Amino acid sequence: MSFSEWLRTNSQHYLLEASEREMAKRYLGTAPPLPGGGVGPLFWRRVFVPAYRVVPWAWRRSMMQLMPGSHRRHWSYRPLREGRGTPEP
Amino acid sequence: MGGGAAGIGAAGAAKQASPDARVQVFTEFEDVGYSPCGIPYVHGREIESFSGLILQGKEFYEKAGIDVRYETTVESLDVGAGEVVLAGGERVGYDALIVATGFTYADPGVPGSQLDGLHYVKNIRRAMEWDPILDQAKKAVVVEASPLGLEMTTALAHRGLETHLVDAHPWALSEVADPDIAAPVQASWAEMGVQMHFNTRLEAFLGSTTVTGVRTSEGEIEADVVVVCTHKTPNNALARAASIEIGSTGGIVVDERMATSRAGVFAAGDCIEVPQGSTMLPLQGLSGSHAYSQGKVAGTNAAGGQRAYDPVFVPWGMVAGKWMIGGVSFGETTAGALGIPFHMGVAEGISRARYYPGLHKVRVKLLAEPGSLRLLGAQMVGGEGIKERADFLAMAAKKGITLRDLATMENVYSPPIGALNEPIALAAQNGLARLARGPGS
Repeated sequence: MSFSEWLRTNSQHYLLEASEREMAKRYLGTAPPLPGGGVGPLFWRRVFVPAYRVVPWAWRRSMMQLMPGSHRRHWSYRPLREGRGTPEP
Repeated sequence: MGGGAAGIGAAGAAKQASPDARVQVFTEFEDVGYSPCGIPYVHGREIESFSGLILQGKEFYEKAGIDVRYETTVESLDVGAGEVVLAGGERVGYDALIVATGFTYADPGVPGSQLDGLHYVKNIRRAMEWDPILDQAKKAVVVEASPLGLEMTTALAHRGLETHLVDAHPWALSEVADPDIAAPVQASWAEMGVQMHFNTRLEAFLGSTTVTGVRTSEGEIEADVVVVCTHKTPNNALARAASIEIGSTGGIVVDERMATSRAGVFAAGDCIEVPQGSTMLPLQGLSGSHAYSQGKVAGTNAAGGQRAYDPVFVPWGMVAGKWMIGGVSFGETTAGALGIPFHMGVAEGISRARYYPGLHKVRVKLLAEPGSLRLLGAQMVGGEGIKERADFLAMAAKKGITLRDLATMENVYSPPIGALNEPIALAAQNGLARLARGPGS
């Protein structure tokens, strides 16, 4: 497993876990995820997730796009630019 | 390489693009051209027999000029020499190679994974052999509430087995669906007698030679059958060994032509990753329809044609319990995990005229980009019409349709098939009303 695969696997897991916890607060009757033990998760839960969330989305996305992957190859399709929608009538 | 949706799609497209081309398909299995996605519905007895899942017989491919080499394992790729090396040492040269090696189920990583009787839904022949066991079985365990896990849980409960679903997450399909979307499904499973074990880790498969149950963080569950529905991981050992570039998802890196990092080598299906259309972040492990479309692009280009694939917005949908659920790109949970800002509109509508028999509730959640109000994603649960709405909303997201557009959309009104108010329009109208009320509303 390459570094980028390791980073994605772990960050995805702990970011999802944090989001599940918030969803449990938002939707009554939904159980929060059970935190697994160990030292490794502490870094992801206490350092990575809060640090990730401090950074604005546009920066986060730019950083993720620096990772190797199919998105770095040629795609004629261009995503619509953020903030450009149908003007309010 | 590979006889699934991507491989067969690629072979057909290559032949179409270049009728004189010699097209060979290598598959380690006994069959190609069937729908593995239909297997759970035969187990559940919604479909009478496995024969209905066979799309084309072997003679079809012979007539089409596609040489399918069944039960043939490719052992390695010699990309430099332009050859694949088969088990036994035979080397087969190529001008263009398409890697469509699909997926393997993630290793549960617990003791007992080698026991007999663990069922993995993939190969139709193994499914045919396993299905009669269900006639005698009383109790089943499904491991993981993945999309296949939801289908198998529903199928086994429908078949009359006492079915247990074990998953480490707090609700079903939590990596894709929001809790309010999963809740009706879970309630309907409870009505069907399914016993759900969420927030429960699998610790071991039990048994001496044949599986007799599972041990979990919440205790042991005896079972006559255990179905492993862990995540689909890309089957890329050969590609990695051949130094074909792999991305952060573990999928093969491709461009819009499905060309890999090695000249003359294309790839398609569950073994690749493609960008999501609004974030351009890579995704892996999509649906059979994605695999087939990617295969057609890869096959056309490999045979000298020109065809491009677009980034994906991932419309998805399925029957789970007594409900249909579905969506597009992001829900609240996944957008929240990534930290994508969104504004949301939610509505509960109906699928037919309110007086027409058989109407169902349809809950629609729309996620839109703050400011522009362009659609980012959607989640839905209802009794019917979820697939069509997901398809429509995926195209809406791709084309930059906004909540304002959706709030004023036209819709079919016909009592047996459509209500006066379309639930999508209601959700968009509610989203705009919420916006007008201001923050915190």
